[in-house]
Amino acid sequence: MNHLLITRIARQELLVNIRNKWTIIFAVVFGVLVIGISYIGIMAEGYSGMQNFTRTSASMLNLVLYIVPLVSLIMGTLSFTSDRGTTELLFSQPVFRGEVLLGKILGLFLSLLLSMIVGFIVAGGIIVTVTGSEGLLQYLLFVLLSLLLALVFLVVAVMIATSNKRKSRSFGIALFAWFFFVLFYDLIILGVSLLFKGQTANTILFLSLFGNPVDMVRIAALIILDNVSIFGAAGAALLRFLGGSGTSVALLIGSLLVWIGIPIVVSHRLLNKQDI
Amino acid sequence: MIVVEHLTKQYGKFTAVNDVSFTVKQGEVFAFLGPNGSGKTTTLKSIVGLNIPTSGSIHVHGINVRTHSKAAKQFMSYLPQRVIFPETLTAREVVRFYSSLRNISKSVADEALSNAGFNGFSDKPVHEFSGGMIQRLGMTVIAIPDSPILLLDEPTANLDPQGVKQFRDFITEQKAKGKTIIFSTHLLAEAEQLADRVAIFVSGKLAALESIDNLRTTFLKEGTIEDLYLHYVGNSQK
Repeated sequence: MNHLLITRIARQELLVNIRNKWTIIFAVVFGVLVIGISYIGIMAEGYSGMQNFTRTSASMLNLVLYIVPLVSLIMGTLSFTSDRGTTELLFSQPVFRGEVLLGKILGLFLSLLLSMIVGFIVAGGIIVTVTGSEGLLQYLLFVLLSLLLALVFLVVAVMIATSNKRKSRSFGIALFAWFFFVLFYDLIILGVSLLFKGQTANTILFLSLFGNPVDMVRIAALIILDNVSIFGAAGAALLRFLGGSGTSVALLIGSLLVWIGIPIVVSHRLLNKQDI
Repeated sequence: MIVVEHLTKQYGKFTAVNDVSFTVKQGEVFAFLGPNGSGKTTTLKSIVGLNIPTSGSIHVHGINVRTHSKAAKQFMSYLPQRVIFPETLTAREVVRFYSSLRNISKSVADEALSNAGFNGFSDKPVHEFSGGMIQRLGMTVIAIPDSPILLLDEPTANLDPQGVKQFRDFITEQKAKGKTIIFSTHLLAEAEQLADRVAIFVSGKLAALESIDNLRTTFLKEGTIEDLYLHYVGNSQK
C-alpha cells in the first residue's frame, strides 16, 4: 500500500464531494439544526438563550443518531456505485484496489467531517461566548463519537455497495440498514429479551449493545455527558458490568473501531475478487 | 508485448470469452472487431486487470496481470468505452489527478492539457463539456503517462466526424511514437485504415486473426473487409 496514492485519491474524493450540492445541503441543514437545538432547547423550559455544552450535547444526541447514519449510508453508497466510466478509468491506473478503497473512504469521511464540524464549531463558539467553557471537554468527546458513528456507517455503506453490483439494490439495502439499526434493532432485542427471564435477559440486553453502533454511541455519549442515570437501575448495572465510566467508554469506542475495521476488510476482499 | 493464453471469462453460465489466445507485438496496432457482446470489451478489460479471468493467463511485458496487476498496469493506459469524469471537476483537476497517480508533475500535466487544445476550457468544470470534448479529455489523460501500451474500447463510438478524425490523428501520432495499441471498433474501415492486424470476435471466440496486409493480398482480392467480416460472423453463427 502506497500512502501517497491513498492520499491523492482521498484528496480527489474530498474535492468531488465538497462540491456536491447534497454535501453542501447536508452541511447547512446539520449546522442550522445543531445551532437551533442548542438555542431552542432551553426555551421549552421557559428560558431564553443558549444552553451550556452538556445540555446542548444531550439535546443534539438524537439528531446525530438519526441523521448521521442516514447521510453516511447515502454518501458511501453513492460514491461506491458511481458510473462505470469513472471507476474503470480509476482502477485501470497503476494502483492496488485496496489503495482506491482506502483513498475513497478517507476522502468521503473527510467531506462528512467537514460538513458536520462546521455546525459543531459554530455552535461551540456561540456557547463559549454566551455561557462559558464548562463542559467543553464532554462536548468535544461527543463530537468525536458523532464522527466515529459517521465513519462506521460510511464503511457499512461501502461494504453494501461492493457486495451489490446494482445501484438501486445497494440503495435499498442501505436504507434497510438505516431502518434496522436506528428503528427496528431495539424493538427486536426487547422482544427477544421478553422471551427470557432474569440473568439471561440481562445478558442478551448487554451483548446486544455491541451489535448496534447507534446504541453504542448513544450509551457512550450519555456516559460522557453524565446522563447515564436516565437508564435507572439498568444504567447502574451497565456501568458495574463494564467496570466504571472510563472503561465503559473505552470499551464502546474500541467496539466501534471493530465495527469500522470489519467492513473495510470485507469490502477489500470483495473488491479484489470482482470485475470492475 | 502482450501474450493472452487460453483466456476464458464466464459470468455465471454465460461464457463471454471462450479460450482466446493471441499475441500482440511491440509497436503493433491491433484492432478487435466483432458484433456487440462478442467479447471485445471483456478481453480488453481482462488485459488491463479490470476483469478477473475464469481461466487462462495474460502477460504484459512478461508480467502476469492477475498476480502483479499494479506492476503490469504501469505499462498500460486504458480508455473505457464511455469515459465519465466527475462533473464538478475542471479539466485541469482531472488531468492533474490522473497524472499524480503515475507520479507525473503538475507542470507536465498542464503542458499536455495546453497542447491538447483545451485553452479556454482548462479551468471549466466538465459538465460544460460536449461529449467529444470529454472523449478528447480522456485521450489526453491516457496520453500523458507516455505508456508503451494503449488500450481503447470503441473510442469513436460517441464521436462526431471531427472527433473521429481527431482520434485517427491521435492513433497515427501514437503509432509513430512506437506505442503498442489495441482498440475495439465496429467500423471496419477504421480497422483497415489504422490497424496492422485484426482479431475478429464472434460469440466470445476468436474467429479470425489476420494482418491487414494478408487480408488485402490473400482474402480481399475480390471483396472488401466487410465481406470478410460478414463471412466470419456468418460462419460462426451458423
